[in-house]
Amino acid sequence: MASQLLDDFKNGLWNENPIFRLVIGMCPTLAVTNTTENGLAMGIATSFVLISSEIVISLIKKLIPKNVRIPSYILIIATFVTFTDYFLKAFYPGIAASLSLFIPLIVVNCLILGRQEAFASRNPVHRAIADGLGMGIGFTWALTLLGAVRELFGMGSIFGFQILGAWYKPMIIMVLPAGAFITLGILVGIMNLISREG
Amino acid sequence: MEKESIGRLVLTLTIIGIISALTLAFVYQWTTPYIKEHQAVAQEKAVFNVLPGAEKFEEVTKNGHTFYEGYNNAGSRVGVAYIATGGGFQGQIELMIGVNLNEEKIYGISILTHSETPGLGARITEDAYKSNFVNKPFGDYTVVKREAAEQTEVEAISGATISSEKVTTIIENAVSTIQSAYGGGM
Repeated sequence: MASQLLDDFKNGLWNENPIFRLVIGMCPTLAVTNTTENGLAMGIATSFVLISSEIVISLIKKLIPKNVRIPSYILIIATFVTFTDYFLKAFYPGIAASLSLFIPLIVVNCLILGRQEAFASRNPVHRAIADGLGMGIGFTWALTLLGAVRELFGMGSIFGFQILGAWYKPMIIMVLPAGAFITLGILVGIMNLISREG
Repeated sequence: MEKESIGRLVLTLTIIGIISALTLAFVYQWTTPYIKEHQAVAQEKAVFNVLPGAEKFEEVTKNGHTFYEGYNNAGSRVGVAYIATGGGFQGQIELMIGVNLNEEKIYGISILTHSETPGLGARITEDAYKSNFVNKPFGDYTVVKREAAEQTEVEAISGATISSEKVTTIIENAVSTIQSAYGGGM
């Protein structure tokens, strides 16, 4: 029982990491990871929506008729996303300004709908929480890492602190969308290499 | 799978919709005062930023545009600020511009919102670029890719010429909007 929960949790961290393994939720992945801070904030916001909606959907799964499950899930997800949007605007205006449109777009992040369909609607609530936590943290660390690599090479800094000196000429492509594809490809490659050897 | 009655489907979605709307109505009520406050503070800061010497300001509507008239301690008008928007390289740029109508010059600008590329176009928010428009006479500005030699020349951000030009256009339009509202070359 406890080991099953642990497996559900660890699943999202590495084996089925949403970004590096399942390769879903690419819209925010590619768009907002131009700085470390944006990547981290986006990861946390998405995790909150993911965990909350997995809990609710797992609890009411028996009440929702099969034919309208997708619209029901979207309504529930959209409620949590709107909540997050207002909350960030009210209490973290800086983060809200830098993520702007990408917060409302969490609604259509296929990671969230995908987990409802694949997990929360089929499993009891405690397993849904473990899955949401694991997937959320997996998504967050992946976005933060992408953001850190892009910010380091694109601007010479991490979390806004200048790491590389004035001698470093920033590779502007890294903070542009193309840099996201390049970084993602290289990181997926590295992850596959680690998994094969391990 | 047995067929579900249409009534059950409608009922389910209606109930979820109602609960969702109620929750959000509550969240909206809770967060709106904070959001309004942030916006007001940001706007106030921007007005004082572009109108040096102003101690208080008033909102005035002319020709359907909202202007912020800044007054000093003695009660005389030091200048007028205006929020101008226009297209940038990516999405809209919203900026505040402060002008001195008597001397026909721009006090300065402040970028309120934009979605330009970080590290490139986003550098329009940095002083190095904004100083192009500090204490400059009204006129036609030319964006140049070298150090600005004349008063009406604007030094482009390297790698972000389009953003630099877009901001310049927004400012030129804003100046003419302000001038037409306040009676031409007054």
